[in-house]
Amino acid sequence: MRTDKNDITDDDFQKFREYFYRKTGIDFDLAKRYFVDRRLLERIEATNSGSFRTYFNKLRLEASGLELQQLTNLMTINETYFAREEYQFEALVNSLLPDLIKRKTDTKPIRIWCIPSSSGEEAYTVAMFLLERWPGINKWDVEIISSDIDTGILIKARAGRYSARAVHHLPRAWLQKYFRPIKDEFQISDELREAVEFTRVNLAAPADTRSYRNFDVIFCRNLLIYFDDVSRKAAAETFFDALNPGGFLCLGHSESMSRISSIYTVRKFPSAIVYQKPLESR
Amino acid sequence: MALIRALQNPSEETFGHIGEREKLLLDLDDSDPAKRRWAARDLLGHAEVSVPLLARLNSEQDLSVREVILTSLTRIGDQDAVTGLVDCLRSEDAALRNEAIEAMQSLPEAVGPMMQGLLADTNADLRIFAVNILESLRHPDVEAWLIAVIETDRHVNVCATAVDLLAEVGTPASRAALLGLKARFADEPYIQFAADLSLRRIDAH
Repeated sequence: MRTDKNDITDDDFQKFREYFYRKTGIDFDLAKRYFVDRRLLERIEATNSGSFRTYFNKLRLEASGLELQQLTNLMTINETYFAREEYQFEALVNSLLPDLIKRKTDTKPIRIWCIPSSSGEEAYTVAMFLLERWPGINKWDVEIISSDIDTGILIKARAGRYSARAVHHLPRAWLQKYFRPIKDEFQISDELREAVEFTRVNLAAPADTRSYRNFDVIFCRNLLIYFDDVSRKAAAETFFDALNPGGFLCLGHSESMSRISSIYTVRKFPSAIVYQKPLESR
Repeated sequence: MALIRALQNPSEETFGHIGEREKLLLDLDDSDPAKRRWAARDLLGHAEVSVPLLARLNSEQDLSVREVILTSLTRIGDQDAVTGLVDCLRSEDAALRNEAIEAMQSLPEAVGPMMQGLLADTNADLRIFAVNILESLRHPDVEAWLIAVIETDRHVNVCATAVDLLAEVGTPASRAALLGLKARFADEPYIQFAADLSLRRIDAH
């Protein structure tokens, strides 16, 4: 069934915008109108809905929520690469870790959890930021655990070989220091590969997450947007138990804990907003 | 000091007792909130746990434990869970009421059969909460319920809440009821505004 671009009226857009914001926390302003319309029309056609109205009803009423997930995927489609959303790593070394060590009363390693691991870019980026931008690394031990449900992607993460596109945001000096070119690709150094523990975890399975505890910082970026409401809330609660009191949770730029759970404290640092497990909680 | 390879999980404490319902029920009343959270999470794997979870919810002061209990109740979604959540709507505790509304929004199949009764409740506040549930309830009868509200409910605030939502979900099926609502509440500027907005959106097609 064909649809015409003009099928998305201003009112349709507004209606969709309000709904999508309520469900995902993602707000599309008028500047994104073309982007949103194109994707909506794509899904209207793919689902044989024929019109925005029919499609929107399906979106709102479908019990499984699968179409909303499909549309969310489409609206947030992006790729993983090194130093993606770099401001959060700046926040890690300039704000979160200084805040943590000010309060730290033991000499146990600082623990950082990256989930989903995907092919390892985020965990290795954390490692490089710690080594290059955080003087505290001379005084503190840090453990980085990177987890994913997909065992195939974990094999890739452990291998640590990346395309030029994946590393294009890294400073040249870091690229030279931590990577070795192999044909068209870049092999990450053994020093970094050995510093990150990759593990398989299903975030939705308490049996998997039960032992993931005592973390000081968790990066969970651009994952919860793919979950339904209940799973998203359960994930936030799982992270709460995985964090030490005062520990930090970093979400993706389009994700907001305020629409998921109220158990965290919002902390505004110069380069990022993150969520903190209250100090007094257990 | 340096980056060090993690021992996978050097956890010192173990929580939960999978397969031991009675122990989990004891943990649900433990003084340690972390233990109570894990008990509420692990009870999911057991039968007939909605009633004790609801009992704990009503006395639980720790927000983080309440949230886990509500998530478990939502996932269980049985008759006991939904009946208990409806009772929470009558609570004086505003936070508990909001938490119950949010949980019920995720339970369309279980909440659907009770909706007509909730929308006919003698307490106008409860009827407003019922409309609030409809806001995110994935159920095919949402528009029909809202139409019934704006056609029959005498309370302006209940109708205002319903007409707000019709601006989002309304189809031509709501048109006559919206016009009727405008006539019934001709002196209420907000109703006029909200009904006009809904009508404009419907007529845009």
